Amino acid sequence: MDEIRKNYHKHLDEIRQELVRISARVTESIPKATNVLLDQDLNAAEAMIVADDEIDARSVEVEDNCIRVLALQAPVAGDLRQIVAALKISAELERTADLVVNICKAARRIYGHELDPKLRGLVLKMSEQARALMSEATSAYLDLDAARAAAIDDMDSFLDDLQRQFIQAIFESHAAARIDLQVAIQMAVVARFYERIGDHAVNVGEKVRYVVTGWLPEHTGAARHHERVSKDPTPIGLPKADEA
Amino acid sequence: MIQVQAVQPEKTTESSVVFSVRDLNVYYGEFRAVRDASFDINENEITAFIGPSGCGKTTVLRCLNRMNDFIETARVEGKIEYHGVDLYDPQVNSNEVRRRIGMVFQKPNPFPKSIFDNVAYGAKLSGRFSKSEIDEVVENALRQAALWDEVKDRLKASALGLSGGQQQRLCIARCIAVKPDVILMDEPCSALDPIATARIEDLMQEIKKDFSIIIVTHNMQQAARVSDRTAFFTTEINPESDRRTGVLVEVDSTRKIFSMPSDERTELYVTGRFG
Repeated sequence: MDEIRKNYHKHLDEIRQELVRISARVTESIPKATNVLLDQDLNAAEAMIVADDEIDARSVEVEDNCIRVLALQAPVAGDLRQIVAALKISAELERTADLVVNICKAARRIYGHELDPKLRGLVLKMSEQARALMSEATSAYLDLDAARAAAIDDMDSFLDDLQRQFIQAIFESHAAARIDLQVAIQMAVVARFYERIGDHAVNVGEKVRYVVTGWLPEHTGAARHHERVSKDPTPIGLPKADEA
Repeated sequence: MIQVQAVQPEKTTESSVVFSVRDLNVYYGEFRAVRDASFDINENEITAFIGPSGCGKTTVLRCLNRMNDFIETARVEGKIEYHGVDLYDPQVNSNEVRRRIGMVFQKPNPFPKSIFDNVAYGAKLSGRFSKSEIDEVVENALRQAALWDEVKDRLKASALGLSGGQQQRLCIARCIAVKPDVILMDEPCSALDPIATARIEDLMQEIKKDFSIIIVTHNMQQAARVSDRTAFFTTEINPESDRRTGVLVEVDSTRKIFSMPSDERTELYVTGRFG
C-alpha cells in the first residue's frame, strides 16, 4: 500500500530529530560544565550560561511545533504517543540544561577554594555517569529502542550511590578542616544537580518506552493513593465523618 | 517500524450483549465479501465500524437487520444472535427484525409527505398504537431526535422543505417512533455540513441510554468522538481472483484503538500510513 499523509509524518520525524539534537547538545555540555567547575574557569562559565538561552529557544520552538501538530493534524495511536512524549521530553531536556547552568554558576560561588583530590575524583565520576545516562537516553530516543530505555533506570542507581559517597566525603573533608562550610554546602548542592540530571535521563527513557509500547510508569505513590482511597475515600487532612 | 504490543487489556464494560456474531461470512454469488468476522455488540453503547472502502463494514451492518435479504445473490454464513436468538432462523419474522433494529442511511431519505406523516408512518403501519396515541408517539420521537422545537409549528409542512441536517434528524425520529432496540447508521453524516454533523453526534450521545447504536463511518475522527467501541475492518486481496475480501482486524474500546491499538494494521490505518 502507498503511504499517505507523507508531509505530516515527515514533520513528526523532524520534531524527534530536533529533540535528539538538543539532547546530544545537553549531553555534551555536562563534562564541559564539570571542567568549568573544577578549573574554576569563570569566562567559560559565563559563555555556557549565555548558551543556555539557545536551548530554551529551541525547546520552545519544538513545543510550538507539537502544539501545531495537535491542533491541525489530530494525531492518534503511535503518532499521538510521539507528540505527547516529545512535549514531555522537551521539558526534561530544558530542565537538564538548566541544571548544567547551575553547575557552572556554582563555579563562581566556590571561586578561590581548592577541593581535595577525593572530592574532585568523585565529581568527575558523577559527571561521567550523568553524561552516560543522558547519552543512553538520547540514543534510545533516536532509535526508539524500548529495551535500551528501560536499562537507564538501573544505571541511575549507580549515580545515586556516587552522590551518597560524595556527601559522606564532604562530611569527612569538613571534619578534617579541609573544606569551608560554605563551600561544603555548595558542593553538596552540586552533587544534587548531577543526581537530578540522572533522574531526567530516566524520565526521557520512560517517555521512549511510552512511545514504543504505550507503557506508563507505575508510580508507587499513585498505587498507595489508590489503595488508601479504596479503603477510605475521605480526603487526607479532612476530619472523618465520625470525628466531625 | 514501531512495534506495538498490547500492554494490558482495557476493562470490558459490564453491559449485556445485544448481538453476538460468530464466524460471519457473507457472499455475493461466488464472491466472498466478508470473511470469518466474530464480535459482540454491547447494549447502550455506540459501536463504530471503520475501515477503507470495500472492507465489508456496510455489508456486516446490513446483515444485522437482514437488509441483505433483499439482495438475491447475497448469502450469509455463520451465526448472528440477537439477544440470544438466531437472527437468521427461518421462524424469525424479518419485518419484526427491522422494526426492532432500525436503520438510518447515508442520504436523508424522508418520504414526500408532511413532517408529521413521516414520523407517524411506521408507527401507524405497526398497528401498535391507537389514533390518539400517534400524536404522542410523533411528539416524543421528534423530541428525542432534538427536532421538536424546530418543527412543532409546521408539522403539516412537507419534510422535503427541511434542511439536510433536519431531514436526517427526521429520519432518526422516524426510526425511533417504532420503538426499536438498536439503531444502525450507515454514514449518517457524510452528506451533512459540520454543524449538522455535530448536532447528530450530540443526538447520538443523548439517545444511547435508550438504544444500542452501530455507526459505519469513513470519518475516523467521528468514530473517535462518538463511539465507545470501535471495530476496524480491512481488505485482503485474494491472489487468485485479485478480488478484495473484508476482514475484521480488531474490536476494542475506542480509546484503545486510537491511543494504543493491538494490531499493527490498525495502527497503520488510523495514523494514515496506508489507506
